[in-house]
Amino acid sequence: MATRIQFENNCEIGVFSKLTNAYCLVAIGGSENFYSAFESELSDVIPVVKTSIGGTRIIGRLCVGNKNGLLLPHTTTDQELQHLRNCLPDQVVVQRIDERLSALGNCIACNDHVALTHPDLDKATEELIADVLGVEVFRQTIAGNILVGSYCAFTNRGGLVHPHTSIEDLDELSTLLQVPLVAGTVNRGSEVIAAGMTVNDWTAFCGSDTTATELSVIESVFKLREGQPAAIVDDMRKSLIDSYV
Amino acid sequence: MRLEKCWFCSSTVYPGHGIQFVRNDAKVFRFCRSKCHKNFKMKRNPRKVKWTKAYRCLHGKDMTQDSTFEFERKRNRPERYDRNVTEQTLKAIPLITKIRHERQKKHITNRQKQGKTKERERDAKELEQDIQMLPKKDAILSTQKTKVVVKVSQQQTEENLMEE
Repeated sequence: MATRIQFENNCEIGVFSKLTNAYCLVAIGGSENFYSAFESELSDVIPVVKTSIGGTRIIGRLCVGNKNGLLLPHTTTDQELQHLRNCLPDQVVVQRIDERLSALGNCIACNDHVALTHPDLDKATEELIADVLGVEVFRQTIAGNILVGSYCAFTNRGGLVHPHTSIEDLDELSTLLQVPLVAGTVNRGSEVIAAGMTVNDWTAFCGSDTTATELSVIESVFKLREGQPAAIVDDMRKSLIDSYV
Repeated sequence: MRLEKCWFCSSTVYPGHGIQFVRNDAKVFRFCRSKCHKNFKMKRNPRKVKWTKAYRCLHGKDMTQDSTFEFERKRNRPERYDRNVTEQTLKAIPLITKIRHERQKKHITNRQKQGKTKERERDAKELEQDIQMLPKKDAILSTQKTKVVVKVSQQQTEENLMEE
């Protein structure tokens, strides 16, 4: 089920955290509230790790990972790399890659089976992604935006994309990823989905600005709500999305 | 903190030293001092500048390939922390640097040994060809190496003296 939280009075949760099915990375903040929110939900199931990447707190947008591995940019220091390797379970492969586009979280969106990448990504990086994360890689754009990692968030059960994605694009992506997709917003109309929320197969965290309608859309598309009849979801879709561009 | 290599001369850049330049294609160039930075701005190729490591390795002046260099490679896939491994590594590091320095010195002495033999050959040839260049006295001296002792009977010499 979805929780609403803030990082130091900022609603962009997806920037300061990274949530997967095997681990959770959290930025080092001024107060412990952010970390406690994740810890209370997740700590008995998966490790919640406080970290920085290259000395910065924007870890959600710099790294990308799933239950098989974690990819880090070349700006990651050796000490941070070692810290992550020590804290994460052994099945998770931690790898630092040399890539011109160093904000991997903005360029790559992935779940445990499929990854969407920035069309300008290096061939070598694409192979590394396929190898470390164990996924099939597709070069795609979302609603004309090349930063696929920021404008969509998807898991093994569902996905949320940029609100201005056309129906054809939505269907195409849905068949590629093999998950149901919905075009929606987060944090009171913010189009940058992945920056506003983090999600895995059983929980989601959104910014505190997220409206109840947005939250219910999220809960339904990612199947976080147990045993809700589908009819309600369809009704909601009509009320939420007024036009397809 | 990481000890980087200067892009131009390949010496280590310690924290608090040098300049880092990031080009528009996101390639980072690190320089140890303004000398290297200014040479870079002049668009000089380090492979052609005599005092850089790049030149020396390219022209075989310094040791290039050795197993001791493999220890200092940058690794992108870390291993879980193990206290024993760390202890062994810390003990091994000064040994490895010592061995590397020895091998580098050996490489240079081997390189210069060939010069010594060539010098001896050249000197022998010069002695053979240009012996006339030396003044007569020295030339004779050079040919007369051993002293030959000639025995003269004492009576004869006394007679000579008496005559004179």
